[in-house]
Amino acid sequence: VQPPEKPLQTEEWNKLREDFHLPEVFEEVMLNSMIRCNSSVDVAKSLLTHLAKCNGDIPYNVLVKYLTLCVQQGQVSEIRDVYDIMKVRFKILESGAYNLLIKGFSNSNQWRMALTLLEEVKKIMIPSRTCYESCIKAASRHQEMKLAFELYNEMLAEDVVPTLDVLQSFFDFSRGMKGAELQKDIFDILLYLRENQIYPHKTFMWSIKLWFESLPGGNWRGRLTNINDSGQCPVCNHQLEDSNLTEEEYSNLSERIIRDVIHGTDTFRKTSPKELEAFQTFVENRLPFDIVIDGLNVSHIKSRKMQCENLFDAVSCLAKENARLLVLGRKHMLMNSSNWKREIMKEMQNKADFFFAENISEDDAFLLYATLRSGKHCRFVTRDFLRDHKACLSDSLTRHLFRKWQRGHQIVKKKCFPSVFSQQPAFRYDCVVQTTGDTWHIPYKDVFEEKYSFQVPRKWLCIQQK
Amino acid sequence: MQSANMLLRRIVRSSVLPFVAQHGMKKDLFPLNRTLSLSLWLKQDKSCEPSEKVDLDEWKKVMKSGLQEEVSETASEPKELSSLAAARETLEMWRLAGRAVPENISEEQLKAFMECPSKSAKKKYLKYLHLKELYKKNDKRKMDEKRERRLEAQDQASKTDETKKSPLVCLWSSTMNKAYNWRAAQSMIFGQPLVFDMSYEKEMSVREVTNAVRQIVMSESCNRRSVDPFHIHFCNLKDDSLYHREFIKNYREAWDKLLITVTDQCYTEIFPKDKLVYLTADSPKVMKTFDHDKIYIIGSMVDKSIKTGVSLARAKRLGLETAALPLEKYLLWSTGAKNLTLDQMMHILLTLKDTDDWKKALEFVPKRKYCGFVNKPVKELKKTLDLINTLKLGKGRGKVEKQFDKNYSKK
Repeated sequence: VQPPEKPLQTEEWNKLREDFHLPEVFEEVMLNSMIRCNSSVDVAKSLLTHLAKCNGDIPYNVLVKYLTLCVQQGQVSEIRDVYDIMKVRFKILESGAYNLLIKGFSNSNQWRMALTLLEEVKKIMIPSRTCYESCIKAASRHQEMKLAFELYNEMLAEDVVPTLDVLQSFFDFSRGMKGAELQKDIFDILLYLRENQIYPHKTFMWSIKLWFESLPGGNWRGRLTNINDSGQCPVCNHQLEDSNLTEEEYSNLSERIIRDVIHGTDTFRKTSPKELEAFQTFVENRLPFDIVIDGLNVSHIKSRKMQCENLFDAVSCLAKENARLLVLGRKHMLMNSSNWKREIMKEMQNKADFFFAENISEDDAFLLYATLRSGKHCRFVTRDFLRDHKACLSDSLTRHLFRKWQRGHQIVKKKCFPSVFSQQPAFRYDCVVQTTGDTWHIPYKDVFEEKYSFQVPRKWLCIQQK
Repeated sequence: MQSANMLLRRIVRSSVLPFVAQHGMKKDLFPLNRTLSLSLWLKQDKSCEPSEKVDLDEWKKVMKSGLQEEVSETASEPKELSSLAAARETLEMWRLAGRAVPENISEEQLKAFMECPSKSAKKKYLKYLHLKELYKKNDKRKMDEKRERRLEAQDQASKTDETKKSPLVCLWSSTMNKAYNWRAAQSMIFGQPLVFDMSYEKEMSVREVTNAVRQIVMSESCNRRSVDPFHIHFCNLKDDSLYHREFIKNYREAWDKLLITVTDQCYTEIFPKDKLVYLTADSPKVMKTFDHDKIYIIGSMVDKSIKTGVSLARAKRLGLETAALPLEKYLLWSTGAKNLTLDQMMHILLTLKDTDDWKKALEFVPKRKYCGFVNKPVKELKKTLDLINTLKLGKGRGKVEKQFDKNYSKK
């Protein structure tokens, strides 16, 4: 449907409605297309007037659509009028209309009205993220940083997750402002990024950089850099945080792996209590290992080769460095078959310890456990991203811990396995927002999209205080 | 702007209200009445000054003028609402805004709605209720139409007034039921047992349990109608569990008369372990033939969020033999999960029991899930496919050329 160019008379509207194939939804469709084409408000008004004349009342959904059009064009007085009408006509409004009203008012000089409305919303429901965002942006646009931060903290307390957009607006609007309180609040945002392992995107990163550099008397200087594998920042020579977990975190994580990943709701789903016990005694008797290998995963690296040959190559390559190896496999590897030759298996067992799980058991969880139990220096080899195991962990804190540990300990040595699959080598430094007081190091993404959680950005913003 | 509004309001009020009062309107203005009065007033207004130009803000006047009385009422009302009432109001507003929200909602459903953990859960629940309501309405409409048609037909028949004499005795449903029950009773004594394992209540949401029960009710009825029914056992069914309550909701007073065995015991306590076979899609073993001496167990579980290995874990814990249907072997699988509904399982097992024909039995697998039947195992087909591909890609072309030369030279 094409909306008309200028306001129409009642008769003309009637004619249009008759020509339309579904007369009962005519107004809705018409208003939708007006919103799409961004028609002038007058046209919409003439439609409403026509409705009012015919029925003496305008239904709520039509009013909301009209409101959408007004908000889209920033017609504040109209928004005001619609609000007055709605307030009189209906006891309460629903979230859609509130979102629109708050958005409309917050972008005008009547932005305080948006705050009043936010209070009204709180009486009946938890305000949506967009409501909070509009209010926060309005407050910070008018340099009311204290108010903005109050709203922001309230939002976090309600478990409403802010978008990066809002976080960025804090940096943008408080540029060049003084105040210890404000600085503390801004640093809290950076720590929020750190705790939730969020990486800002490029434009956000620029906002952060400019905010630091605009601090009066702060003498901050930000530069973009890449950090090499050693984990030393080339700009300020500062050594980034180690990727190793603390002893406490290690034991915590192994406990959680046992509890959530291996046992889960039912130990029999991934293994059996008997098998788990056998595995645990096996590991305890032979600790510590240097490298734990996911035998089945590695055996599929080259599809042309026999599976046991693939595994043999990997084992002999890793055994050269005098490392203590543990290979996890399944019992079917022991059956002499076209893919698993008994002689080769025998030879491998001289070079490494083997543990064979039942054919219907999950071997990955064992791999994680054995690596964690062996301690800091131990790595594991698999091409698996371990997403499903991460998903078994019940809280996000442990999941982050898991990813951090995985980044530091998973290897796929390209030298031994020239496979299509590529994964960054085990990281020696931790990839999160970090500070030492007079320096900040912030990893950032090139694009806005979320990366896979096992990939981390390689680009950094280094900020130093002179 | 404000003052202008106020002025407008005052003018409108003074011009409309006396008019309304003349017409003897009560305190609660019916919308209909209001419409009438307003449109009347508008018409008068129009006749006074025939203007070409549309007054764009007229709708505001209309909206406000009709509401003056209500304003004074709502203003005097206390604003505070209880959370339930507020939720009800919000739902009503959502409905007006055109969202998928049911028109009528019971207290119970409202509480369930408020207990939904997240916004998306709330939305889903409302949509579900909304659809349920629509189905109900449609069914009612169809029933009414049917009734009317029947009445018309009866009228016609009474007019013609001819009684048809049929040589066959009409088999009423009660007679049929007696026959079915007779068979079921025989199966209770001589039939092959089939176990439904009712121990998954903890793993399921309320809605999944209701779905599971409905599927079991369907399975039970198709079993009753079959030529040679199973002797059905509901094992691990605890009294006053959710399953139990749902069964009573479905069967009502027929629940106690069902010709099946219901017990809170485990199947391992009733039957010898070596005869039990637990059917689960996650089983590494594939069923080759239907064994008439074995007792098959079906886990009564609907898992909308795919929880793999739950029933396999049960079987492992009890040390039972497991089996999966040979879907891969006989069907070219296309999409969908390989776990079938309970009534489909029932149909398949009954067909196998009667005919031992896999092809016939697997016709009960939903058509959307597979592309067709396979007469060769898929592995062999894969080999053929690989061969075709190698030929296409020109690997081993020498061989093909030799073959070709041979054939050609013969000619």
